[in-house]
Amino acid sequence: MGMTATAAPVSVELEGGAFKVLGWNPPRSEPAKGWASIFAVYTGSGDVPPLLGHYSIEAGALVFRPSYPLAPGVNYRAVIRPPGGGTPVEKIFDGTPRRNTPSARVERVYPTADILPSNQLRLYIYFSASMSRGEAGQHIHMLDEHGKVLPGVFLPGEELWDPSFQRLTMTLDPGRIKRGLTSNEKMGPPIVEGKRYVLVIDRDWPDARGVRMLEGFRKAFRGGPADRNPPNPKQWKITAPAVGTSEPITLRFPEPMNYPLLQRMLHVTGTQGIVAGTVSIDKQETEWRLTPQEPWKAGGYQLVVDTALEDLAGNHIGQAFDIDVFQRVTEHIASNTISLPFVVR
Amino acid sequence: MLRRLTLVRVAVGLSLAAALAVTVAAARRPARVSADLESGKAQLKSAGALAFGPDGVLFVGDSIGGEVVALDTNDHTAPPSAAKIDVQGVDVKIAALVGVTPDQIMINDLKVNPISKNVYLSASRGRGPDAMPLIARVNSAGQVSLLSLDNIPHNSVALTDAPAADASARRNPRMMTITDMNYVNGNLLVAGLSNEEWSSALRSIPFPFKKAAEGATLQIWHSSHGKYETQAPVRTFVPYSISGQQYILAAYTCTPLVKIPVSELQPGAKVKGETIADLGSGNQPLDMVPYHKNGHDYILIANTSLGMLKLRADNLSTYKPIESPTVTDVAGVPYDKLGNFKDVQQLAQLDSSDAVILTGKPGSGPPWAPGPAIGPLNLQTIALP
Repeated sequence: MGMTATAAPVSVELEGGAFKVLGWNPPRSEPAKGWASIFAVYTGSGDVPPLLGHYSIEAGALVFRPSYPLAPGVNYRAVIRPPGGGTPVEKIFDGTPRRNTPSARVERVYPTADILPSNQLRLYIYFSASMSRGEAGQHIHMLDEHGKVLPGVFLPGEELWDPSFQRLTMTLDPGRIKRGLTSNEKMGPPIVEGKRYVLVIDRDWPDARGVRMLEGFRKAFRGGPADRNPPNPKQWKITAPAVGTSEPITLRFPEPMNYPLLQRMLHVTGTQGIVAGTVSIDKQETEWRLTPQEPWKAGGYQLVVDTALEDLAGNHIGQAFDIDVFQRVTEHIASNTISLPFVVR
Repeated sequence: MLRRLTLVRVAVGLSLAAALAVTVAAARRPARVSADLESGKAQLKSAGALAFGPDGVLFVGDSIGGEVVALDTNDHTAPPSAAKIDVQGVDVKIAALVGVTPDQIMINDLKVNPISKNVYLSASRGRGPDAMPLIARVNSAGQVSLLSLDNIPHNSVALTDAPAADASARRNPRMMTITDMNYVNGNLLVAGLSNEEWSSALRSIPFPFKKAAEGATLQIWHSSHGKYETQAPVRTFVPYSISGQQYILAAYTCTPLVKIPVSELQPGAKVKGETIADLGSGNQPLDMVPYHKNGHDYILIANTSLGMLKLRADNLSTYKPIESPTVTDVAGVPYDKLGNFKDVQQLAQLDSSDAVILTGKPGSGPPWAPGPAIGPLNLQTIALP
């Protein structure tokens, strides 16, 4: 096989994500050492392998289609090595430019209360756009009342995202929260009752495109007493709607509850099955409402609550976060629920 | 003591399961397990924790997809001799293969195929929700290739309950991040953390996978000083045999190392780990490799801030559980700090005398949260110390 001379010099064009060799007639079959021995595309420098991809002959030209889409901000170096020897021909292509217009911001952080228990377990940070992972430790800070950054507040390296990377769950160091552990005894809880704090999220946190946010975020709060009591449904208050209306049913808690769990761990059933409607959460997560799609019919209903519903400190119905007696029990883990009856009149 | 484990990535690894697991599996395996896998495109949405099962089957934790995928790597030829792997800039090479800058490659886990001794890495191409999952293979010659997922014998098992079929609902934000997996006695053990509720579970899933509903779910608890009990998500764990009994050694998100008899891992069980070592505060175990050398048992632990630790594990069964408040910062089974291994991000067992480590300088964050390692990331074989 040899390089067939043509009138035009050999070159490469990039079109529609494919690299095409111009000015050279390839042989009908792939050479013994593979097409990559003649034509390959590289990113990066040094001793690196060529891009993965597939070769084909299209309209008499050798075409290379990368297995992965071309990425913004990457340069591609196409190299043709004449089969019979000779000077390789190189051509550099600039990838699509990186976008750099900021668009992301922190929309809200839960809990929204101004006082958080000293055994607050998790924070939920909602972003307006998808973010990059691996950045939380560098860009989320807790400041004390003097503006000093507090170390060791969160579980380092643990970023629990939702699938869209728009909600981040940050866990405060449970070793400092659980009673009896050395971290708890030596360092104390991450939040101390009576102290003031500011949660700071840096603007420099890159979104999924690698672009910094529009603005940073600050939330000031004060440490409250530890909450080691499981939520008690007997203390909750239901306000039943009036028949024939589309008023919401309202459930009020004496303490703030876990926002994401409020979204999915409560529902209402009636004689017709589950009542379809829209859930809203208000008053610093102390109020849950369901506004029905259809007006209420008279009769008895049940407000069904998953016992896994947690308060801010990770206590859930019937069980505190750290309980002080361990009873060995063997039980099947099921989605246990409680039902709170109400009547629509 | 305890302070959680710092993992520098979403899903982490631990490696040692391989040799142990396959030994166990080989004894009970009637035929090649890959016969139960179906060829086709493996629809991974993410590639996190890895574990090897029998016959070169690689389990991949797909947290975003909410499942574990078993892949037949078709890589079950033993090497003619033990090879020393030394690849500088393995992240740079993977980036070159898939056409991105190295900062867009995140290595999520590292395991060694116990049969072929080839090294497998799970990685992400990109850092956002659209990051593409990658499974890279590094052979004894140091060549880096990607496992093609387009047509590969595979099977999968769903980990999450199906979300409510509410078409009007936004995309379900609930997600279980798979932190570690190991194949033990014909079951894949899967540890995970929920991004919503604290209560979490260890799952035991028989392999070959049958239905999503199969497999035991159990709660893991931690006791501090016999007084307080807390549900304790497992962050990293490894199969281990003590006096002929099969255990897992586990590190909790908040506590030190514990041992749990595998016999207790029954469906619906509420299991309490017994603390055997307390490595002090401000650090987190990343990966653990148990081994035997010169008549003694050890556990090599890669740790975020303490570097590499060598736990002296002789007579592990004789150590009484740590149940009294620890006055000192460190308690339990004794260990040595090994100063000659720096910046270890991943650790996996290669064979009875060697391990593979992935090293890279810590990220640019504060000391207590440095963030992902800054490349280049280097892969090398080390002799178990």
